[in-house]
Amino acid sequence: MEFCKAAKTECDKIIAKYPEKRAAMLPVLYLAEKEFGHISPEVEKYVGKLLDVPPVKVHEVMTFYTLIAAKPRGKYHFQICRGLSCDLKGCVKIIDYLSEKLGLSSDETSDDLMYTFTPVECLAACETAPMMQLNEDYYGNLTKEKIDDILKENS
Amino acid sequence: MPKITIDSTEIEVEKGTTVIQAAEQIGIDIPRYCYHPGLSIVGVCRICLVEIERMPKLQVACYTPVADGMVVHTNNEKVQQARRAVLEFLLINHPLDCPVCDQAGECWLQNFYMQHGLYDSKMVEDKVKKQKALPIGPNVMLDSERCILCTRCVRFCDEITETHELGIFNRGDHTELLPYPGQELDNKYSGNTIDICPVGALTDKDFRFRTRVWYLTETPSVCPGCSTGCNINVHHNDHRPYKAGGIRVSRLKPRYNPDVNQWWMCDEGRYGFTQVDADSRIVAPQKKTRGDWQLLSWQDAIDEIATKIKGILKKHGADAFGVILSPQMTNEGLFAAKRFFQETLEVENIDFEVVAREKGYADDFLMKADKNPNSEGAKKIGLSAVDNSGLEVAQMLADAKDNRLKALYICHHNLEKGFKKEEVKEALSKVDLVIFQGTNQNSTSNLANYCLPSASFVEKDGTFTNFAGRVQEIHKAVEPLGESKPDWTIFRNLSKRLGKSMPYFEAGDVFNALAEEVDAFKGLSYEKIGEHGVLLNGHRASTEKEMGALVA
Amino acid sequence: MSEKIISKFFDIEDSHTIEIYEKHGGYETIRKVLKQWTPEQIIEEVSNANLRGLGGAGFPAGRKWSFIPKDSPKPKYLVINADESEPGTFKDRYVIDHYTHGLFEGIMIASYAIGAHKAFIYIRGEYIRQTERLVEQIEAAYEKGYLGKGIFGSKFDLDLIVHRGAGAYICGEETALLESLEGKKGWPRMKPPFPAIEGAFHSPTIVNNVETLAYVPTIIKNGADSFANLGSERNGGLRLYSISGHVKNPGVYELPMGIPLREIIYEHAGGLENGNGIKAVIPGGSSSPILTPNEIDVNMDFDSLAAIGSMLGSAGIIVMDDSTCMVRALYVVTRFYHHESCGQCTPCREGTGWAEKVLKRILDGAGRPEDVDNLVEIADNIIGNTICPLGDAAALPIQSYVKKFREEFEYHVREGKCDVKGQ
Repeated sequence: MEFCKAAKTECDKIIAKYPEKRAAMLPVLYLAEKEFGHISPEVEKYVGKLLDVPPVKVHEVMTFYTLIAAKPRGKYHFQICRGLSCDLKGCVKIIDYLSEKLGLSSDETSDDLMYTFTPVECLAACETAPMMQLNEDYYGNLTKEKIDDILKENS
Repeated sequence: MPKITIDSTEIEVEKGTTVIQAAEQIGIDIPRYCYHPGLSIVGVCRICLVEIERMPKLQVACYTPVADGMVVHTNNEKVQQARRAVLEFLLINHPLDCPVCDQAGECWLQNFYMQHGLYDSKMVEDKVKKQKALPIGPNVMLDSERCILCTRCVRFCDEITETHELGIFNRGDHTELLPYPGQELDNKYSGNTIDICPVGALTDKDFRFRTRVWYLTETPSVCPGCSTGCNINVHHNDHRPYKAGGIRVSRLKPRYNPDVNQWWMCDEGRYGFTQVDADSRIVAPQKKTRGDWQLLSWQDAIDEIATKIKGILKKHGADAFGVILSPQMTNEGLFAAKRFFQETLEVENIDFEVVAREKGYADDFLMKADKNPNSEGAKKIGLSAVDNSGLEVAQMLADAKDNRLKALYICHHNLEKGFKKEEVKEALSKVDLVIFQGTNQNSTSNLANYCLPSASFVEKDGTFTNFAGRVQEIHKAVEPLGESKPDWTIFRNLSKRLGKSMPYFEAGDVFNALAEEVDAFKGLSYEKIGEHGVLLNGHRASTEKEMGALVA
Repeated sequence: MSEKIISKFFDIEDSHTIEIYEKHGGYETIRKVLKQWTPEQIIEEVSNANLRGLGGAGFPAGRKWSFIPKDSPKPKYLVINADESEPGTFKDRYVIDHYTHGLFEGIMIASYAIGAHKAFIYIRGEYIRQTERLVEQIEAAYEKGYLGKGIFGSKFDLDLIVHRGAGAYICGEETALLESLEGKKGWPRMKPPFPAIEGAFHSPTIVNNVETLAYVPTIIKNGADSFANLGSERNGGLRLYSISGHVKNPGVYELPMGIPLREIIYEHAGGLENGNGIKAVIPGGSSSPILTPNEIDVNMDFDSLAAIGSMLGSAGIIVMDDSTCMVRALYVVTRFYHHESCGQCTPCREGTGWAEKVLKRILDGAGRPEDVDNLVEIADNIIGNTICPLGDAAALPIQSYVKKFREEFEYHVREGKCDVKGQ
């Protein structure tokens, strides 16, 4: 379990930016997620070794933050907001609708690794409530019709 | 030095003292869970909140340094309310399993609830479920639901042993203490995490379900496991030994000594007391007759042994007599032996050191390779072969093999730890009189003609001298098993039978005589040793030296 | 039409590029500063401008900078808090998207003022597009010599690094942010030491919010007074109000400090949808105590809101119309703080989950008469007793919702259902 040459170079570049190796924890975990798909226990240990940090401290980080995948996630990761502004604008119906369309319940990934469905807390785009994040992008002012369109585009 | 007022008492303390420490100095015990003087301060449990005048919020006493003119209230209505609140929060997800929890009786949740809580619970929701009865290492069991996340154990493994086995995972009320997946809490000091756990989250596999803590009595002592001499308390079950299958000593716990072990001890020492109540204990004098052991009264044993010793000395002279004392013996046992063998019998072949063939584990913290508690004492009392221009142990065995040694008096040693089994067997078989004196049978005692039962370290008073020259007291926690006696008593009795009495009635008498006679001990007295021990002459109080890496 | 500083760039095409920014006078100020200003002068100017910390705490920015020890041999760091996470707040995203180099120029001036040669932008992990934009524009700035060794031909070196968070609201709290930046889980630190004395990597560190720094170039360019005069007493300048909920035109509005809340809602955000009435308004992010319709004439500055027992916080306004169930609203808010509680200290770790469970039970129709008082007691017992402000953030809504809408909570408990129309 090791980075390919390019990733290792990238990793060294990241580490060099910080006054302490350990500070590169999140960026190196993101890099590892990109390289390996998710952070398995082996990757955790590898990252610990790269940063001179006991693996238990990498595991603490992995279980504390929500964004870096510890398990394989779908090609399309739907993070749908259930924060207050979205709730006021009826996100519950949209969440239920999306859940039903995907056939997935909270934090579930489809067996074909196409979709992951995660209701999340406020994504800081309340002006477009109800909204969600699909992979890198935000989608706002969601309606059932809009969900249908998005699903059509991403399948 | 800043002067502060705590609950109307004014006190002047060193700069940098925290409020919790200042309060301790005047006997005010502010409740605490996460605070431990040997670990970094994290202020997470919030039970030590106090009111400091002119500060808008309550402050944690563990973290707040004193400032001149500070006025602290540790027990007013506002503080009591905050404590009750913290207790209630700690208990909402805590299982109510006190009846089956080993910590009951020494649980700081129970204790503080009785002292500071006593509210009616309003919690009616389902509790957060976590892992229970999880073996996380050779010695430690974890009940994650009982954990209050004080992080003491994590800090211990990060800061003291630097082994990093434990972590705090997830967040919010799903935060959970666990070992790193796939890793065990298996360091040389893991038992300390049990000591510092204020609740029943970490319990001792060796102690679980054995006895309720309120049946235990504590006696201060010193660990005999190596030459560091960690201060300990012996927890013994005086009240209901029948419930523990006759096991009298339930556990050892480290006892604070700033100059030796601070708050800690190693697992080897902690779990090394089982020989005290083992079946192998020698409980009465015995002699081997035609291959079978036969019990004797002390009087008969002393008579027979004295007669035989006299005969051999008369016939073969003192050179045919070898004595192997042990650094397992107290200073008192060693000194009485010295007087008996050197003065009463005028024997010169005295040694105590048997170099173990297998080197003991050592580190730069508390564990020493020398697994004897009193090597330094034996040296200082002058019991090395060189001190007496006599034979070393190896030479004694060689002489025995060549039929030059007619009597061998062996204390405590299992000679096989230093020599090959066949060598020992051959040598001892050629000696007319082999006397073994010790606590437990071993392969050497089996080769003896006589066995005399010694009291173990929990069954007698006395002193050990640690590697740094610190003389420390052990105390009798339980009665000597069977007919066993402290070593010094046995030598006193033998000496008297052989014509020279020693006026010793208790360990202190022997020590004081030793202090008069042996230079390194001059000026010391048994009464002055105190709970943390005293240094021998010529030994400087050098915390660094005694503590090794701990100070760093 | 009132003056705009940052938001005037929102509608300019490619305003995030160096070229467009410079076309509008960008980077003139930092050039001047590097040649003519001393760090002390900058700190004084920013202090006089009454620029407050716009992340939510409202601490005077100039004063914060002045806490950096001048004689420390350690490196100094500037850390930019772009972990925008307080529900109802989304303004920093606009700054990053459209006023990218304005933010950089503020970072440069602040770094120069405190003697920092390394600055970190800590951005919330979900802002992937914004992270990309920052990285790309930082590269552009390096290429032009605006970052790196001797910026703008001066002797001042500055490196700027984007550090992406990974999904934890608590990392918006400055000491948790520093822990996270150092590669640990985001457990807030005990204070003191304050970050200005010992922050990132045991070195003096200033943590400023994105918006706060974005106003700095204008303050230096136009002078402290001109900025201060835009706002109210001790609350200088403009700020970016995020408004969402049941209004016609939710969005970010740059308006003076101290503007009445009513004006923001009705004149700028277009009033409520469907002509509904207001039931309640959150003035400064979901942690701020809620306001009733008769409180919305309050002036939106730190001091005025504090005076009526609420807070300006991040100026994230959430408007709730009269179809809103307050028990549900509080449940959603409390669920958030429970989800985000870091788990370090007892009252917040245990209290947030407990309160959420009680609220859920009430919503499900299984409330008990004692629940309402118990909720308040849980909140009272959290408040002021935790290491960081997350405890207060969770407790303040509970206290204020129950206090101001008690009958609604009691009805829920009593009848096992909601009496709000439309629910």
